[in-house]
Amino acid sequence: MSGNLQPLFWAAVTLGSYGLALALHHRHPRWWTSPLLMTWALCFALALTLHTTYREYLRGTGWLVAMLGPATMAFAMPIYAQRQLIRRHWPVLVIGVAAGSTIAFASSWLLAWALGLPFGLRVSLLPRSVTTPFALAFAGRVGGIPELTATCVVVTGLVGASMGELLLKWMPLRSAFARGAMFGMGAHAVGTAKARQLGEVEGSVAGLTMILAGLVSVLAAPVIALCLR
Amino acid sequence: MLRKYGIILRRSSWLQALALTGLWGLCARVVHVLALPVPSGILAMAVLLALLLGGGLPAPWVRRGAAGLLDHMVLFFVPAVMALLNHRELLGMVGFKLFAVIVGSTLGVMAGTALVVDASFRWRQGDVR
Repeated sequence: MSGNLQPLFWAAVTLGSYGLALALHHRHPRWWTSPLLMTWALCFALALTLHTTYREYLRGTGWLVAMLGPATMAFAMPIYAQRQLIRRHWPVLVIGVAAGSTIAFASSWLLAWALGLPFGLRVSLLPRSVTTPFALAFAGRVGGIPELTATCVVVTGLVGASMGELLLKWMPLRSAFARGAMFGMGAHAVGTAKARQLGEVEGSVAGLTMILAGLVSVLAAPVIALCLR
Repeated sequence: MLRKYGIILRRSSWLQALALTGLWGLCARVVHVLALPVPSGILAMAVLLALLLGGGLPAPWVRRGAAGLLDHMVLFFVPAVMALLNHRELLGMVGFKLFAVIVGSTLGVMAGTALVVDASFRWRQGDVR
């Protein structure tokens, strides 16, 4: 393929696959038709077939990664809309994020150690429960392979968003706060998208939990870096 | 003039998303120039929240754009997972182990967080059964 058209081609493929995936998910709302998974599967299959490298793919779609910035910023809106609720219940959120972050770091590290994964992979796994911009900031501070961290973050989001539905069936959660915090803490932005479907309170609590978890991880990064040395 | 702009802006989610992206771009520039240790999206979020709370920006001017950006956030994650093209070794045993860690740990995080929040929420409301 000619060098100039290739970036355009991959941008079009990604957007086109996303459009298809949205339509499919609208008709059959199952976890395996989740737009992220479908879009990725279509693009990945095509990239393998055409022997495209990651670098070539990114030339056309780097701007999509940059759009994570404005998307993160957009969380100001649901937080603003739910400001009364948040003002009243912020200690609950802080407790939830503290507990969730501790479980996230400890269980990732211990499970990876138990399965005999090497140090580099274990470090890359550590920030997987926080949303990409924070996870990359964490990885930059503590070490680990940034692309691998980004992939683990997204896989975590997919796994968490689909398991969250099962957990909702198993666990009697009475407060919208608990449902929102669960998705925001466990599955960051992908979970937040899911939580927004449950309700407005769930959505904004999830968004806020996600942001708090990200801040906690960035603040904890220097301490964790010291511990690992 | 400002009023007219407001009326146009109120209707179009694309224009709003574009304006929000512009504001983010400004924040990204500030982060870059001052070499701040925060991700640009987070600074932009703080700025936007401050503008909304301070009344400097009427919420209807950006509500639709923000909703649109959030609705399509998962699209922005696709390129990150394409990094697997560079790490084919992860499609084997190591990848399986990584996946197992992610599933186990995520299950723990979600169940733990939900239970802790539910309990502390009920405790704060004095609804102890």
